[in-house]
Amino acid sequence: MKTKLSLFFIIGFFIYLIDIGLNSSDNPKEIYISDQEVLSLVSAWESQVGRKPTEDEITRIINNLIEEEILYREALLLGLDQEDRIIKRRLAQKISFLKQETLTDKPSNNDLIQFYDKNKDKYYVKPAYTFTHYFFSAENSSLTRSTSGLKKILNGSLSIESDPFFLGKNFINKNKDEINRNFGKLFSQNFKEDIITNEWIGPLKSSFGHHIIKVNNTTPGYYPVITEVLNQVEIDLLAERRDSAIKEYIDAVKLEYKIFVNQNLEY
Amino acid sequence: MNKFLKRLGVILLVLVFFIYIFFDVDFNDKRPVIGLFKNITHSDSALEIVDFSVDKPSSDKVRPAPNPDKNPYYGDLHVHTKYSFDAYVFGVTASPDDAYEFAKGKGILHPLGYEMKLQEPLDFYSVTDHGFYMGMIQAYADTSTDISQNYFAEPFHNLNAPENLVVESAGQRSNIFSNVLGAAIAKPLPWWHPRILKAWFTNNTQLALESFEYNIHKSAWADVARSANEHNDPGHFTTFIGYEFTTSTDTEGGNLHRNVIFNSSKAPIRPWTRIDSINPEDLWTWQDGLREKGIDTVSMPHNSNGSNGQMFEMETFKGNAINRKYAEQRMRNEPLVEITQVKGTSDTHPLLSPDDDWSDFEIMDKRVGSRPPTYSKPSGSYVREAYLNGLTLDWTTQGNPYKFGLIGSSDTHTGAGSFDESNYWSKIGLLDGDGVNRGSVPVNPEQEQLLKDYMTAFNQPNALIELEAGTFANTGFTQWGASGLAVAWAEENTRESIFNAFKRKETFATTGTRIAVRFFAGYDLKTIDLDSDSLVSQAYKKGVTMGSDLMNKETTTPDFLVWAQADKNGAPLQRIQIIKGWIDMQSGTPYEKVFDVACSDGMSVDPATNRCPDNGARVNINDCSISQDVGATELKSIWIDPEFDPTVKSFYYVRVLENPTCRWSTWDAIKSGNTPREDLHQTIQERAWSSPIWYIPAVNEYTVIPLGGTVAISDE
Repeated sequence: MKTKLSLFFIIGFFIYLIDIGLNSSDNPKEIYISDQEVLSLVSAWESQVGRKPTEDEITRIINNLIEEEILYREALLLGLDQEDRIIKRRLAQKISFLKQETLTDKPSNNDLIQFYDKNKDKYYVKPAYTFTHYFFSAENSSLTRSTSGLKKILNGSLSIESDPFFLGKNFINKNKDEINRNFGKLFSQNFKEDIITNEWIGPLKSSFGHHIIKVNNTTPGYYPVITEVLNQVEIDLLAERRDSAIKEYIDAVKLEYKIFVNQNLEY
Repeated sequence: MNKFLKRLGVILLVLVFFIYIFFDVDFNDKRPVIGLFKNITHSDSALEIVDFSVDKPSSDKVRPAPNPDKNPYYGDLHVHTKYSFDAYVFGVTASPDDAYEFAKGKGILHPLGYEMKLQEPLDFYSVTDHGFYMGMIQAYADTSTDISQNYFAEPFHNLNAPENLVVESAGQRSNIFSNVLGAAIAKPLPWWHPRILKAWFTNNTQLALESFEYNIHKSAWADVARSANEHNDPGHFTTFIGYEFTTSTDTEGGNLHRNVIFNSSKAPIRPWTRIDSINPEDLWTWQDGLREKGIDTVSMPHNSNGSNGQMFEMETFKGNAINRKYAEQRMRNEPLVEITQVKGTSDTHPLLSPDDDWSDFEIMDKRVGSRPPTYSKPSGSYVREAYLNGLTLDWTTQGNPYKFGLIGSSDTHTGAGSFDESNYWSKIGLLDGDGVNRGSVPVNPEQEQLLKDYMTAFNQPNALIELEAGTFANTGFTQWGASGLAVAWAEENTRESIFNAFKRKETFATTGTRIAVRFFAGYDLKTIDLDSDSLVSQAYKKGVTMGSDLMNKETTTPDFLVWAQADKNGAPLQRIQIIKGWIDMQSGTPYEKVFDVACSDGMSVDPATNRCPDNGARVNINDCSISQDVGATELKSIWIDPEFDPTVKSFYYVRVLENPTCRWSTWDAIKSGNTPREDLHQTIQERAWSSPIWYIPAVNEYTVIPLGGTVAISDE
């Protein structure tokens, strides 16, 4: 029993010695430049320059390699690769690109149609409105003036006193977003497809005062035929495929990881 | 036999002589007649036109009708994406497509992971990546490309190493780039290399550089152009193919950067870059060449504030006297200047305009890209002084090369412009994407140590500042800000209509706010009823608008009409000012004066001081709230210059001021629960500037001999 145990110790000691001996060749202060590395650089040089490099140039290429390796190793020794967001991001990007590159085939018509149907709302063309208005500036009691203005106009008065609006009087074929940009949300939210047309309505409040408006015409919104937006659909579909390729890849690999996040972290 | 040999010898000599003359003249001579040889031996790759238009099916979408009185369209003409050589280092991966989606209102991700989204979409946008080495650096840095395997690409694999130390300025980074580019990239191939000949015969210097790969460059440019055309949506959203001509003076560190945009879906096969020439005059000659081929362009200088006095010099790039030919060529090609952007505002400087109480505004007084951030000389760097110098040059019969209109833009490098003080992400990604790195939030001890290590490692001056509010990084980003926008008065939101507005200089600039301003001058404007709906159409009929000349009418005094509307999501307006510049017609001495012309809250201008009374608007620095019910949603006025002299060359431009609000640095501090820095402006008055109107007197030109000799009017 005892001899067996000491035998194990002796064997273990020898293994330890052998290990030290072997690993000494793995000294971090030794740099091996492989023939392959040099040859690939030489051939890159050749294809770029159109001739073989001279002795001097080969020396320079090799020196550059050596210097890079030294800096790289010193950086590793200093732990500069650790917890560096830029390096992590770079590596993450590289693998993402690799995963995306496999997706080069053009989507088929069927794929495009399916994608379009699923994401129809993204391509919806919003309704457009044509309207005119009287403006009452917030600088000068706009609510009372506009209320009495509306009364007058409903009683048949042909023109009422109001203020000039900075962006003009008539707005032709503007969709809700564009109206929002010109008047603000308070005002644009009144525009729906069933808004009363050919009648003076108001007063509606905007960011600049009050308005009495008459909508002359509403162009209904519609879903365009797919051919009208084909380019965009294709771009969007490819983008979605790339995203989901990475996602699938991550999901697959994620299973192999155990992830620890501090649930009690306060932020 | 002997005679024959002699004759042969003579013929050979003559032949060699002619060949020598031919080549010498061809390569070195720029005289127009002899230069004709050039057309025989050379093609000009930078003038080869490619149609980048995208096949788009016709659409039934209704378009808003054009407005003859014009609408203000807001946009950004200075946007970088991943194709810019520096963007990769900033961690930016946004493509031109992402940038255009952002402009249309979609949120995109900042390299630090948060969403960047506009409060309100923009009307037009142009992706303007750096032209030189466009797409190349990305290819070097991506170690899966063939070109990255070359030794010259190696510095770029490791380029991020210094950045591991977190807090670092863009200037320092740019300098690493210029050093690396100088040493490794801009190395020519040996003289006998076939690409040298190709470079020569196609006027394409970059082909002669060892580290350059034309195909990568061309495909990056083609993608920029494709993306612009893809996203152009006439009537709703306009894009321009564009790029940045990133040049500088080689001795004085003067930034001479310009953005170039195209009016067409066609563009040259490659952008004209600083590798072709660092002299902006050569850029204009190239633009003239494109115009002959039917493609119009506009180039727009930016960051004159960081040009160390070189952007608006009183002499040419080479130090010759400016003459009329120079002035005309410059104005033909660069009708606009970017007066404000993230890297500061270039209206004027307190040293140049000591009597202007609003001149100390977002001053960035460092040379662009300098390391460490180095002082930039104010004179020659600011717009107002350039306008004045233009008048003086004109007075000395040299022509006026500084008769430009104004726009703002962002210069973002993340694809997404940052215009909102309360939601600011600056412009260079990882480096200034949070308060600590921007210097608005104190550093913790660990970050402080990193900065110190950095300063020692790179032999840089102290970049930390100890204040009552704490210890802060002081790397120059505090002088940057949430600015600006370009606004065009155009009939409709189409490429053609907006581009024409740029050419007319019917534009104004804002610091990111959506203020709108009208500006007219004429001799009969006071007859217009300011309360009439036809106010604008009458003003167009009876006067000229921003960007134009007002010709004299004997001794009549002109009227000016200004009308400004507040940003519906911003602070109310405080006042409208007109800034007048003129020269003494006996000596050419320049003068300037700021007149308040409309005040908020029903107040009127004090004629003795030309100032509005204080409207009492204040900011609460503890939570950034502002006074309610003070200020105006719109201001409007007819103004007559009380000091008008019909014989004097002068210009007038409008400055609209909002009530004060918190600056981004104050917002950053408050949002993170810190005290704002006491050494920075805590509030800001967002503003807009119109392009000027120039008054042209009918006076006899004097014989002026300013430089000890007359200035040649025709050619150099």
